[in-house]
Amino acid sequence: MEVKEIYWLKELSKEYNDLVGKKCANLGELVKLGLKVPYGFALSIKAYEHFMTATGLKEEVEKIVENERGAGLDIDKDVDRMIEMSGRIRAVIEETPMPPDLAGPITECYRRLSEEMQVGEVACAVRSSGAVSMPGQMETYLNVKGERDIIDHIKKVWGSAFTTRAIVFRINNNMPISWAPIGVAVIMMIEAKSAGVILTVLPNIGDTERAIVEGNFGLGESVVSGEITPDSFVIHKKEMAIESRSIGQKTKMVVYGGTGTTLCEVPGALQEAPCVEDREILEIVRIAKEVEDYFGSPQDMEWVVDKRFSFPENIFWVQARGAKFTKQEAGKDQEYVIDLMLQLFRK
Amino acid sequence: MKVYDCVPGLEFDESADFQVSPCWFQDATHSVPPWTPMFGWFWINFCRHGMQYGAELLSLPTVKGWDWRFKDGAGYLALLIVKDPAERKAREERFKVAIKPFVDDFPGMWKGFVDEMVGRYEKLKALDLDKATNIQLLENFEEMINTTRRMWEIHMYMMYGVYTAFVLFEQMTKQLLGIDDTSPQFHKLTSGFDNKSFQVDKELFNLAKKAHAMGLKDVFLSTSAGAMRNALNASQNGQEFLKAFDDFMEKEGGWRMERMAEINVPTWLEDPAPAFNVIKMSLEKGVDYSLDEERKKHEAERLATEKEVLEKIAPEQRGWFKTILTLAQNSAWFSEEHNHYLDLYAHAMIRRSALGVGRRLVKEGTIDAPEDVFFIIPDEVRKVCINPGMFNLRPLVSRRKADWQGWCERGNVPMIMQEGFAIEDAMKGLVESLDPIALKVVVGTMPVVRPELKADLYGVCGSPGVIEGLVKVVWTENELSKIVKGDILVAPTTSPSWTPVFSLLGGVIVDRGASLSHAAIVGREFGIPVVMNVFEGTKLLKDGMRVRLDANMGTVYILDK
Repeated sequence: MEVKEIYWLKELSKEYNDLVGKKCANLGELVKLGLKVPYGFALSIKAYEHFMTATGLKEEVEKIVENERGAGLDIDKDVDRMIEMSGRIRAVIEETPMPPDLAGPITECYRRLSEEMQVGEVACAVRSSGAVSMPGQMETYLNVKGERDIIDHIKKVWGSAFTTRAIVFRINNNMPISWAPIGVAVIMMIEAKSAGVILTVLPNIGDTERAIVEGNFGLGESVVSGEITPDSFVIHKKEMAIESRSIGQKTKMVVYGGTGTTLCEVPGALQEAPCVEDREILEIVRIAKEVEDYFGSPQDMEWVVDKRFSFPENIFWVQARGAKFTKQEAGKDQEYVIDLMLQLFRK
Repeated sequence: MKVYDCVPGLEFDESADFQVSPCWFQDATHSVPPWTPMFGWFWINFCRHGMQYGAELLSLPTVKGWDWRFKDGAGYLALLIVKDPAERKAREERFKVAIKPFVDDFPGMWKGFVDEMVGRYEKLKALDLDKATNIQLLENFEEMINTTRRMWEIHMYMMYGVYTAFVLFEQMTKQLLGIDDTSPQFHKLTSGFDNKSFQVDKELFNLAKKAHAMGLKDVFLSTSAGAMRNALNASQNGQEFLKAFDDFMEKEGGWRMERMAEINVPTWLEDPAPAFNVIKMSLEKGVDYSLDEERKKHEAERLATEKEVLEKIAPEQRGWFKTILTLAQNSAWFSEEHNHYLDLYAHAMIRRSALGVGRRLVKEGTIDAPEDVFFIIPDEVRKVCINPGMFNLRPLVSRRKADWQGWCERGNVPMIMQEGFAIEDAMKGLVESLDPIALKVVVGTMPVVRPELKADLYGVCGSPGVIEGLVKVVWTENELSKIVKGDILVAPTTSPSWTPVFSLLGGVIVDRGASLSHAAIVGREFGIPVVMNVFEGTKLLKDGMRVRLDANMGTVYILDK
């Protein structure tokens, strides 16, 4: 394992978890499994260290914290002072220029990413990626474009470890207040035609012969949150046959807006149209089956179809984890059927 | 008890039997025309025994089987309903365990029974009746009685189990899919299965192919069934064909009679005319197609329908729905196949064994003709069999024969009811029994008369489809020969031995029937429309009338009024 400040996602795997954070390491794992994930790169905590030490920010932040503590800051009571301190730290991190020997490689990576996508400046999501989950590791900035903005937002992510909540969390857990290394993922934005999930098992009955694909237009959040009735397809995994399809009335979808996402109307004509083509469904199943075979257990995976690419290059994966499902107990259906039979005699 | 009683202990007796039930239903499917005394004895004793045995083994919560009485050659039945709620509850608990084998491994269970029965039949057939001693004859006869009793035990145990599953399936399709047993889609789900009865038909069809290949088509077409054997014997090819034909008849094809529930007509083995006729009809129709492929077509249609239907069912419901679907499909093919291994074969065994006794009684001067044995009952066989020469059964036979002729001329009433008891109450009782056999075979679905359809007859769908054709009214198998391709068969009910003719038919109209009666099951296998429960088809329709039947709607229209 080579310790670096910047990695391409495809260089990563589980072992890099502590270095680049869970989000990045997971995406690297997906690449290892042969899945296509959104292109991008990761800044490790070494990059954070580099930034904080080379710029002298490390001492500066420590000094701010010490001063406040010396002045008798009571974290439970002095909410206003906490907010003020948090703001000052974040501002100083965001305002301090990136050292050139770090800005250079970041810019280089961003340039290559843009080339890969054949655009001048590719729009990216800049996300925090912590090794364990804690406050301040949830920041996500969408639609970030241009070298300068990319760098600014990386600093914003680093700064996000100094929100009041994050500071209080570290104090309560006996962690250093002024030292909060965190990984950052810079990933190309997907232009989602549609997105959703696949489970390689029917979770309610534990039928492992079948997979279920659910999706909606736009980004996957609407499917996961349950805000709309998504399209739902049941696929026989061995026969690779779509056995059932239910096209939901998809009134709303989630799209990118500004630096976040918004819920918007699905055009009337599309509301009752399937959000994925059959061949896309089958490709999604095919890939998910490979992942399932690799892990030897049913998977719960999130997919996105990117409208800029043509089939089958348009299917991207953003998440894969073991599926939670009710195990099919032997004879459960049989017992249920017997109970139903009994009802026949109880009219 | 009178000496002339045919079924001692189970002859209908108003004063006693109205206490059992205020209403007795005639089993019109099986006991019209009236039974001979010997067959009545077997049916009333052992069908009754089998039903109570089956209901008890399964511990059906609401019904303990049926009680049966014999009256003037007819079987009359009443349901033994469990009324006490506590008893029902206790039976429910046992039912849960008892029904399990049907859900777990129905085909395996059935195979065990088939092996048992075929073993019994082979053992019975092993005795050369004409060389046997009187004692051996009687032993064979007693063993045949045991075999028949066992047949009915298996028969009704299985039937109660599979019909319970079938009724459940019906209810589930109604709830989940909005279709009932009169819907074409429903039928497609339960047809297209290979089964023994189908295989026998297929063998006959293959014999027709063989005849065609051997250049015997002209012999078949120009010869009547009765003269067929002689005509075939005239050529070497014909002799070779007969060898294959007789072989098949002896092994399995010949152990059936025109009327399934009777023993007084020859088996195909004794008189192969019906089999020759089937081959003849196939040759007329042409043998350049494959029955197997036809069946596979239905199978493909079933698989497509299964898919279609499963799509409409929520994924989490599919597991158990498929379990029920499989059970219902088992019921469908079992309903057809059991006729071959149980009723047809066992009744042919009664006839074989009884005629063996009959020939001996004639030889020793006890009766006049072997067939007279059908007018005595097993107790009387026991009475005379070891020393026939010591007894004269002629007066008994002639009295019973006269009675029987009278029954046949007069016919029997469909119901015997206590005074003041209404038919509505009787039907209510049937429905309240929740007896799956009563619901699926005897009662059926009552047709709804819809005047806006302006039909001449209203029935229910036994097998989907719409067809026009010429009516042929058929009461007995002998009349089947008048059927030509495309005809509409009109009958009171149909019998398993009529199955081969279904390949010629355009459609079927039966007076009585439910979704698991013969006409419906076979109609579905052959993919021809069947309208059932029209009640007055044989009365209203005449040979040569042109009709349109729309089985989907359950309607029949006379086109040339």
